[in-house]
Amino acid sequence: MTTAVSAVDLTKAYGPTRALDGLDLTVRSGEVHGFLGPNGAGKSTAIRILLGLVRADGGAAAVLGGDPWRDSVALHRRLAYVPGDVELWPDLTGGEIIDLLGRLRGGAVAARRDALVERFDLDPTRRARTYSKGNRQKVALVAALASDVELLLLDEPTSGLDPLMEAVFQQVVGELRGEERTVLLSSHILSQVEKLADRVSIIRRGRVVQSGTLAEMRHLTRTAVEATTAAPADGLDRLPGVHGLEATGTRVRFDVDGDHLDGALKHLGGFGVLSLSSHPPTLEELMLRHYGDGEAA
Amino acid sequence: MTATGAPSPGRTAPAAGGAAAGTGALVRLALRRDRIRLPAWLLGITVFVPYFYTVLGVVSPTQEALEESTALMDSPMVRLFAGPYFGFGEVTLQRSFLVYLPEFLLAAAVMSVLLVARHTRGEEQSGRAELVRASAVGRHAQLTAALAVAVLANTALGLLIALAMVALAFPAGSGLLFGAAVAATGLSFAGITAVTAQLGESSRTASGLASAALPAAWMLRAVGAVQDEAGGWATWLSPLGWPQLTRILDDERWWPLALSVLLFAAGAAASYALAERRDLGGGFVGTRPGRSTAAPWLRSPLALAWRLQRRTVAWWGTAVFAASLCYGGLGGAMDEGAVDLPAEVVGGPAVDVLDGYLSIMTVSMVFVVCFFAVVSVRGLRRDETSGRAVAVLTAATGRAAWTGTSLLVTAVSGVALVALVGLGTGLGAAASVGDGSLLPVLLGAALARAPEVLLTAGLAAALLGWAPRAFGAVWAVVVYGVCLRFFAPDLGWPDRLLATSPYNHVPRVPVEEPALVPTAVLTVLAVALAALGVWGFGRRDLDG
Repeated sequence: MTTAVSAVDLTKAYGPTRALDGLDLTVRSGEVHGFLGPNGAGKSTAIRILLGLVRADGGAAAVLGGDPWRDSVALHRRLAYVPGDVELWPDLTGGEIIDLLGRLRGGAVAARRDALVERFDLDPTRRARTYSKGNRQKVALVAALASDVELLLLDEPTSGLDPLMEAVFQQVVGELRGEERTVLLSSHILSQVEKLADRVSIIRRGRVVQSGTLAEMRHLTRTAVEATTAAPADGLDRLPGVHGLEATGTRVRFDVDGDHLDGALKHLGGFGVLSLSSHPPTLEELMLRHYGDGEAA
Repeated sequence: MTATGAPSPGRTAPAAGGAAAGTGALVRLALRRDRIRLPAWLLGITVFVPYFYTVLGVVSPTQEALEESTALMDSPMVRLFAGPYFGFGEVTLQRSFLVYLPEFLLAAAVMSVLLVARHTRGEEQSGRAELVRASAVGRHAQLTAALAVAVLANTALGLLIALAMVALAFPAGSGLLFGAAVAATGLSFAGITAVTAQLGESSRTASGLASAALPAAWMLRAVGAVQDEAGGWATWLSPLGWPQLTRILDDERWWPLALSVLLFAAGAAASYALAERRDLGGGFVGTRPGRSTAAPWLRSPLALAWRLQRRTVAWWGTAVFAASLCYGGLGGAMDEGAVDLPAEVVGGPAVDVLDGYLSIMTVSMVFVVCFFAVVSVRGLRRDETSGRAVAVLTAATGRAAWTGTSLLVTAVSGVALVALVGLGTGLGAAASVGDGSLLPVLLGAALARAPEVLLTAGLAAALLGWAPRAFGAVWAVVVYGVCLRFFAPDLGWPDRLLATSPYNHVPRVPVEEPALVPTAVLTVLAVALAALGVWGFGRRDLDG
C-alpha cells in the first residue's frame, strides 16, 4: 500500500507558540483519513505545510511523493484543498470562481461541476459578495470536488453548511472513496469523521497522540455503563478497569476499560440488574480521553 | 381611540427614544472604528487649504499678475469648472482661492458618501448589524448613529478648514462660511447616501448610487455657471451649487446653505421611512445575477489579476482623465493672464506661467496615480490576509506567477493612467490655449514620470515580500514625496534633503529640460524592487 501523505516529526513555531511539536502523520493512498483535534491543536498549520503555504521549521513532509514546498505547483495539479473559512473575490460570481479555480488547477470535469452545483443547491450566478458563509463554502467544495485530483485536503470543509448539505457532502466523499481517491479530512465534527473515515489521527497541542482505525481506537477506550440494581451494587470500585464510579442508592454509573467489561457486568449481575444501558465511546469521548484530565483517573 | 390608531395587541408603547436606543454607544463604536480613517480624511482635505493657496501665491505673485490672470478666469470655460464665483471684478488672492471651492465640496461629499455607506449598509452586509441589532439597540439606532457621525465629521471638517483659512489671514467670517459650505455639502451627500443605503443590498451599491449623484450635481452646477455669471436656475438645483451661491468674500449670505441642510434632513427622513418598510439586510433594488460560468479567457493568473482590477482601473482612468482635462483646460486662463506680464513681474529666471502651471498639475496627477499603484499592490496583500490567495496558490499557480502577473497588471495600468494624465492635461491645455503642440509635450512630460508610479509599485511589492506587516509604510514614502515636492521648496530646504525623495528626480517638463537618465534609473530600480518582492514572497510563509 502506498503512502499519499507522510509527515515525520514536523515542527513549526509562531513566535513563542509551538503550533506543531513533532507531528507524525501517515495517510495511505485511497483512504479517507480523519484528522481530529480541537481548535488550535495545529490541524490547519499541518495542512498548510502539506500545501507548501508555510514552511516547517523542522521535520520532513512528503505529499504524493513530492516535497510540498519545492514541488508545490506540480503537486497542486494533483490535489485540491478546501479551507474551513472560505473567502472569495466579492466581484466574481460563484460560477466564475469555480471555473477559474478548476482551470488554474488544470481543468475540472464539466459534467461533475454542473452535477455538484445542482447537488449542493448553489446559485452560481450570484456574486460572491452576496453569498453567506455556507454558500462560500459550497463554492470551494464544488471547485475542489469537481476537479480530477488524486488527493483532497479538506480542512473543516463543512463549517457553515446546514445538515442537509452536510449529508450531501458525506455522500459525495463516500463516492470518492469508491474512486480510490485519498482524502485527508480535518474536522472537529466527530460524527462526520465517524461516518467517513477509514482511519483517524488525533492531534493535540501540535502532536498526533493517537492514530489508527476506529475499531483499534475503540479497543483502547472504555465503555460507559449505567445500571439500576435490586440491591445496592457494592464492590465495583475494587474491580480492575472501572473508572469514575458514581453510585446513588441502587443506581450506578461508571466507565470501564474494554477488556474488563465482562468482569464488571458479571459483578453487577450478582445484585439483580433491573435496567442497564451501555454505549461504545463516541468520538467526543475519545477526544475527552486525550484532552480532558481523564488520563489521570 | 380610532381603529387605525389602535396599538396592535401585545405591543407595548416604546420608551422614549426606543427606536434610537443605543445610538450613543454606536456613535462611539463608529468613532473608535474610524479613529485613523476619519482624522486622515479630515487632515487630508484640510491640508489642501494651505497647499492651493500657496500654489496661487506662486503662480500670481503680485496683484497685477493676479488681476491679469483672474480677469481671464471669468471665461465661461473656467466658470464651467469652478463657477459660479463672485467678487472677481475686484480680485484678491483670497478671492481667487474660491476657484478651488469645488474641490473641497467634492472631497467632503466623497468622504460623507463612504462614511454613511460603511456604517449603514456596510454593517448590514457584513452581518455585524445583526449582532448589534439583536442587543438592546433601537431599530433606527444604526442609521441615526451613522448620520450623527456624518454630522460630527463634517462639522469638524468645516471647523478645521475655517481655522486653516483664518490662519492664512482670511477674514474669520469668510473662513467660517467657506468651512460651513464644505460641511453642508458633506451633509447633503450624507443624506443622499442614507437613502441609497436603503435601496441596494450591498455597501457598494449604496456608495455607487450616491456617487452617481455627484457627477449629476457637478453637471447641473456647471450648466448653471455657464447660464449666468451669478448662477442660473440649474445651479439652484445642484447640491454642489448652493455652497457657491453663498458669495463668499463678496456680499456673503448664509441662507443658501439652508438648502443643503434641508436636503440632509429630507434624506434622513426618507431613509427612516424606507428603513421602516424593509427587512434587515433586504433592499428595494435586487442584485443583478452575473455569469454562471467563467468567460473562456479567465483561465490564468494574469487573466484573474486583470479581472480583479479592471473595474478599479476603469474608474481611476475616468477620474484621472476627467481631472487632468479640467486642470489642462484651466491652462488657457493661466496663459492669457500671463501673456502681457513683463519679465520682471514673473521674477527670477523667466518661467512661463502656463508651463509652470501645467508641469505642477502633471506632477500632482502623477502622484495621484502613485496612490493607485499602492492600492493596486495592496490588493495582493488583502487577498493574502483574507485567505483568497490560498485558493489560487493551492491550485497549480506558483507564488511568482501570482505576484508577478498582478504586478504586471499594476505596472501596465499605472503607465496607462499616466498616459491618460498626459492626454487629459494635453488635450485640455491644447484646446483652451489653442496650441496643438502642447499635447505631445504634456503627454511626454507625464510619461517621463511613469517610473515614479512603477517605483511606488516596486516599493510596495518589496514590502509585500519582505515586511508584509509594514506594508503601510509605502504610504509614508508617497506622502513624504508629496511633502518634499510641494512644501519643502518654499521653505528653502537643502537640495540634499530633497534628493532623498524618489519623486524629486524626474525633470518637470516643460519647465525643465527632459532628461533620460533619471527616468531610466527609476525604471531599473522599480523593476529590481519588484523582483525582490516577488522573490521574497516566494520564500516566506503565507499569512492569514
